[in-house]
Amino acid sequence: MSPILEIRGLSKQFGGVAALAGVDLAVEEGEILGVVGPNGSGKTTLFNVVTGVHRPNAGSVSFRGRDITGSAPHAISRAGIGYTFQQAMAFAGLSMLENVQIAGEHVRAGANANTPWPTPQALLDFVGLTALADEKAGVLPFGSLRLLGLALALATQPALLLLDEPAAGLNDRETTALVGLVRQLPGHGITVCVIDHDMKLMQMLCRRLAVLDFGSKIADGPTEAVLADPKVLEVYLGGDL
Amino acid sequence: MSEGSTPQGKHPTHSVAPALRSLVPVLVVLTLIALVPLLSPSNRFLSLAISAGINVIALYGLSVLFGQTGILSMGHAALVGVGAYTAAILARDFGVGFWLALPVAALTSAVFAMIVGIPSLRVGGHHFVIMTFAFGQLLAIVLTNGGDYTGAATGLDMVGPVNLFGADMGDLTRYYLMVVAFVAVAAVASWAIINSSYGRTLRAIRENEKLAASLGINVGRHKIGAFVVSGVFAGISGVLLANFLGHISPTQFASFPSIYLALMVMIGGARLITGPLAGGILVAFLPEVLNLDPVQSRIVYGVCLIAVILLLPDGLIAGIAAFVRKVFTAKSKERQRQENGVVSNPSEARR
Ligand SMILES: Nc1ncnc2c1ncn2[C@@H]1O[C@H](COP(=O)(O)OP(=O)(O)O)[C@@H](O)[C@H]1O
Ligand SMILES: [Mg+2]
Repeated sequence: MSPILEIRGLSKQFGGVAALAGVDLAVEEGEILGVVGPNGSGKTTLFNVVTGVHRPNAGSVSFRGRDITGSAPHAISRAGIGYTFQQAMAFAGLSMLENVQIAGEHVRAGANANTPWPTPQALLDFVGLTALADEKAGVLPFGSLRLLGLALALATQPALLLLDEPAAGLNDRETTALVGLVRQLPGHGITVCVIDHDMKLMQMLCRRLAVLDFGSKIADGPTEAVLADPKVLEVYLGGDL
Repeated sequence: MSEGSTPQGKHPTHSVAPALRSLVPVLVVLTLIALVPLLSPSNRFLSLAISAGINVIALYGLSVLFGQTGILSMGHAALVGVGAYTAAILARDFGVGFWLALPVAALTSAVFAMIVGIPSLRVGGHHFVIMTFAFGQLLAIVLTNGGDYTGAATGLDMVGPVNLFGADMGDLTRYYLMVVAFVAVAAVASWAIINSSYGRTLRAIRENEKLAASLGINVGRHKIGAFVVSGVFAGISGVLLANFLGHISPTQFASFPSIYLALMVMIGGARLITGPLAGGILVAFLPEVLNLDPVQSRIVYGVCLIAVILLLPDGLIAGIAAFVRKVFTAKSKERQRQENGVVSNPSEARR
């Protein structure tokens, strides 16, 4: 089976900094792939380029066999790639429910279309925020804001979901809940690609890891093998592994 | 997605009732305004009120743009001018009357808005302000150098009377009532847009463009759409203006009138449905009430604008409403404290 997302030779410069230096990566349908690497290694930039926030300087991205390199963010969302940003965000002045409603209003046939999709209420339920449905998103505690972000991305009916540090700032209970939610997604036809620093979390979620360092992929394979790889250990020496 | 699911009826997609309530004050005020002729006001008052009303119609369009998306047009009078010149030229060359001129002028202004909006809104908010400003100046130059077709610097006379069900609208009181009716339609239209799912999408863009785009919202196209909608209001305002004044000239639609429109929408506040009405009336009647000459009134407006931006960023009406709410909740809390003899939990007091 061909991968759902295929990244080839992707490069992105910011001024003199090569945030991505020719990254190849394939995401297989139905998996939960982890992307790890030290701070500033280019993980967020990788997601930003895939989702059209930034244009790459070189390389290509194809999603379900279609070239989406350099497409606009809204077009990529409509094609079926959901994205939660590293900085949790929502439409602060609108209620939680309105937030999720808006997120579901711009879905096009290209997304995860054929499956019947949960209603906005059901999505809030899924992430455990039903009790706060009528609260303005701006007054939410941080953990709830992260979960709302997940509900927003899910409302776009993604076939592939990119999560950038979804557990950052969450307490243990919230993190456990998040792991439970993310694990269910492949069963609903959603492939997941997740960035996080927390290796324990990544071991729970991912059977496969890709490691970035200075904008290059230095390892890619089964989680245990990658975590035993001397190159990876060297990168993380004295770090948080 | 299992337990604790809410009954479907608990959260209606659009809460229409509270939204409808927001429309009531405007309609009440407009009804009162429509009764003013019973007090046999002076012609000067009627003329001033008609000008104010014509501005308010354009302001309702501007409030959709500014209030919902947060982008401000500094060339809005130019779009009013497009409507006015369209009406005048249609009447002169094709004998087109008022009622047919309305949709044609609305469409023409909308097309101009699109032409200005597409290149400038794709780039970003600051460029948009400058581009709309430049458009206003450019239009004045084109009209001034348009020879006989646009009447050059002297402008054009508006030929032909305005009739409604056979009644001649040349009468000042009748024209006044007609403008009030148009203002009501503009207010309702603007309210309907703001409370539609389209309006909510615009609000989402204003709150967070990056997030909106990541959720499949075509941010650029919606901003252009909001500007085009505001152009429709401006075009209609222009037709009413041309027919009221009977003569139009380029300077009426250059940058100063545009700045005034922006001022009115900021003073009144763009997010409340009462804002454009309040802003339009205030700016029109303030110099009259305070007996100011044009130079003095410009100074007063400048000071007002700075004060509003600094102190009441959501406009005068929203500022007053917030103040009233604060006084009210302080009083009710005071009363509660006296009744209970204890300091109540503020988060409970809010419910
Ligand atoms: N918008 C930007 N402008 C300039 N430099 C950026 C931008 N985004 C990221 N960078 C730089 O690119 C490199 C990779 O950053 P990032 O992708 O955020 O890393 P990570 O998510 O792995 O911590 C860093 O050196 C960072 O400073
Ligand atoms: Mg990052």
